[in-house]
Amino acid sequence: MDVSQYLEIFLDETKEHLQSLNTEILNLEQDPENSDTINEIFRAAHSLKGMAGTMGYKRMQNLTHDMENVFSEVRNGAIKVKGNMIDILFQCLDALEEYLNTIQETGEEGTNDNEPLITLLNDVLDSKEGGVPKEEKKEKPKTGNGEEDNKKWLDIKFDDTQKRVISEATSQGKGIYGITVKVQEACILKAARAFLVFKALEEMGEVIISKPSVQDIEDERFDLDFSLIYISESPLETILKSVRSVSEIEDAQGALLEDVPVNGAVAAVESQSAVPEVVAEEKDNAPAADKPASQPAAVKPNEKKAPVSKPVVNRTVRVDIEKLDVLMNLVSELIIAKNSLVSASVGDRNNSVNEHIEYLESVTTNLHESVMKVRMVPIESVVNKFPRMIRDLSKKLDKKMELYMSGEETELDRTVVDEIGDPLMHLLRNAADHGLESGEVRKAKGKPSVGSIFLDAYQDGNNVVIEVRDDGAGINIEGVKGKAIDKGVITPEQGENMSDQEIINLLFHAGFSTSEVVSDVSGRGVGLDVVKSKIESLSGEVEVKSKIDVGSTWTIRLPLTLAIIQALMVDVGGEKYAISLGSIQTIEDIVPTDIKTVQNKEVIHLRGLVIPLIRLSEVLDIESKKNPEDNMTVVIVKKGDRQSGLVVDELMGQQEIVIKSLGKYITRCKVISGATILGDGEVALILDTNALF
Amino acid sequence: MEEVKVALDSETTQFIVVKLGDEQYGIDIKFVDNIVRMQHITRVPNVQEYLKGVINLRGEVIPVMSARLKMGLPADEYTKSTRIIILRLEQHGTIGIVVDEVKEVVTLDNRQIEKVSYDSKEEKDYFLFGIGKYEDGGLISLLDLNAVVLDKEGV
Repeated sequence: MDVSQYLEIFLDETKEHLQSLNTEILNLEQDPENSDTINEIFRAAHSLKGMAGTMGYKRMQNLTHDMENVFSEVRNGAIKVKGNMIDILFQCLDALEEYLNTIQETGEEGTNDNEPLITLLNDVLDSKEGGVPKEEKKEKPKTGNGEEDNKKWLDIKFDDTQKRVISEATSQGKGIYGITVKVQEACILKAARAFLVFKALEEMGEVIISKPSVQDIEDERFDLDFSLIYISESPLETILKSVRSVSEIEDAQGALLEDVPVNGAVAAVESQSAVPEVVAEEKDNAPAADKPASQPAAVKPNEKKAPVSKPVVNRTVRVDIEKLDVLMNLVSELIIAKNSLVSASVGDRNNSVNEHIEYLESVTTNLHESVMKVRMVPIESVVNKFPRMIRDLSKKLDKKMELYMSGEETELDRTVVDEIGDPLMHLLRNAADHGLESGEVRKAKGKPSVGSIFLDAYQDGNNVVIEVRDDGAGINIEGVKGKAIDKGVITPEQGENMSDQEIINLLFHAGFSTSEVVSDVSGRGVGLDVVKSKIESLSGEVEVKSKIDVGSTWTIRLPLTLAIIQALMVDVGGEKYAISLGSIQTIEDIVPTDIKTVQNKEVIHLRGLVIPLIRLSEVLDIESKKNPEDNMTVVIVKKGDRQSGLVVDELMGQQEIVIKSLGKYITRCKVISGATILGDGEVALILDTNALF
Repeated sequence: MEEVKVALDSETTQFIVVKLGDEQYGIDIKFVDNIVRMQHITRVPNVQEYLKGVINLRGEVIPVMSARLKMGLPADEYTKSTRIIILRLEQHGTIGIVVDEVKEVVTLDNRQIEKVSYDSKEEKDYFLFGIGKYEDGGLISLLDLNAVVLDKEGV
């Protein structure tokens, strides 16, 4: 069976299940008796096993199968949850993740059987105190489900051709089966599941009729179940088993049809079902009882979905990022069109043109906003894995710590969310390894022996702020200074003149690591500078504040969107440049005589602050067209707490611009972060003011 | 074996013939995305001299380089026949190169192409992969586009 087209779905869903397993097992460790948690774990493990089996990943299936056995025993109360069992389970999850990565890279699951893990799992199983047979539990939902619901195949009617096919099959000694398959309520891709069921069935026989029709099933026009009539040589049990092995299939019921009556209804013979005649009668007399159950629901599947009892399952629609990019580009072009209209109307006093422009403007703004919203995803998907990581770190470092998270629902652009995981992980590891003291030291300082790490995310204007905070020792400023001098990052004289904050910022310098011993948790000396450059590549910034014995706070500030920004257009030497409005503080008119020099650098004195001046014409290697005696236009930009004044020739006004990359070919120019296309088709470059500091 | 060789021999490649200074150069047509007229190039500061800047090609920002400056010829003089050839290269993405004039498209079969071999270390400024021989006896230099586009100073 070719399942490669479902590989992506499989990968996505497996990741989701693994994540929910991680979270739930953590919960289980805290609250070993919670039956909801155990059930959720069992369900996730079961789906995982089914999915791996369907996709033909036998090793993965084996491992999950053994995990499921353990969970099943836990659920039955035969084994008690213990610390070492949780550890083994986490190891299993890691192994599964490894399989997943291998599959993602190669399409194969690799050759690692993970025998030791399976043995460990079986040891856990053997340790149970008086087992309860698993079968008992498994039987229950079947009978509880109500018989009518599971025997919808009885509703199927045949036409003449199908009857002929059936009778032919019967004469060849093949079995005719009626099967009803029930999909789980939480299933997102019902059509794909149904397709997998059909694929599985077609391997062993032939599907003659289905209800709803195959077309309807493909279009997902069915509620939670579908029925079919099926010809096969295989016994019923094998067939049902293969159907049930498709993940997210709640149940499959079936029966052998011994003879096909001509009057339209089908006879079913199974111990618990009615005699053929009765069924036929029932069908004729009370169609109202059976049909409304399936039909109206099939028309309006959404209504039934509303009351969902299962948590965790992420109910988002997955959208191909490429499709979003196309949408994005369309919006970009719309904005460009708008801009050209704007420039066409300059000088022309025609009111109707202006009206159109206003309308177009509101349309594009709305479109932009809604497309942006589609691109936004909660950072939850990234931060979810951190509790587990902190737990592992806590064991490895032998320090007690707790992670408190808030604002997981804060949304960020998809591309940013994908990239932010590693930097955050670095910061958390740093906080755990360098930040927090060991238990004894903490006690000596009068702090609670369990260290706390906080991860807070919130929206602040056009930015999203993510803070990593610990209540540890804080940054040892003298230590950092000494290290920096040792490593030749600064000279001792420089060190004398630096403020505490400047010294702390040295931590972001490449090749800087203060940990005395290089541990495998953090401290390879490639940490913080990588964090910084990563965040800056996302147009964000990172800051650190620290107080001895109180703790350190790392603040990451990221723009909400990356693709379209409000910008100030300026003229430098006849060339147009854009400066992101987000980084602009004020705009000042400066008399040249107000410029002072400090250490050979030009500065201005503004409202009690000394601000260094940067002449953009020099940075951009172009002749300024302004008379040096005229008043200067200075754009004050900020980066964190620092400010700089950029001297420009002229201001050209504010504009919404679409950011385009300069491409990978132009890499040498650090002060330019991208380009944009103006209304007249000309390209203007976007200044990266952060690079000017 | 014989058959394979014959098949290879009779394979043809199309080249766009461009003029740079007094010489004619051939550019393999499979890399050419587009040929556009000279337009305003936005200068990008602090980059290599031969990188002229960026242009707007139907909403995309494309870097443009001067083939003349890259190959050590005198700087471009933009005339009515100056064109920008937009190349799509696997390694470098889309990039435009400025040429003096686009003459024609020629089809050469492999027998008409004489491969040149050279020691790339010694010949830092060598940008050809072969010489094409016209049927009437004319010659064109076939550009090795990756060598033209590659930033040799950076390597």
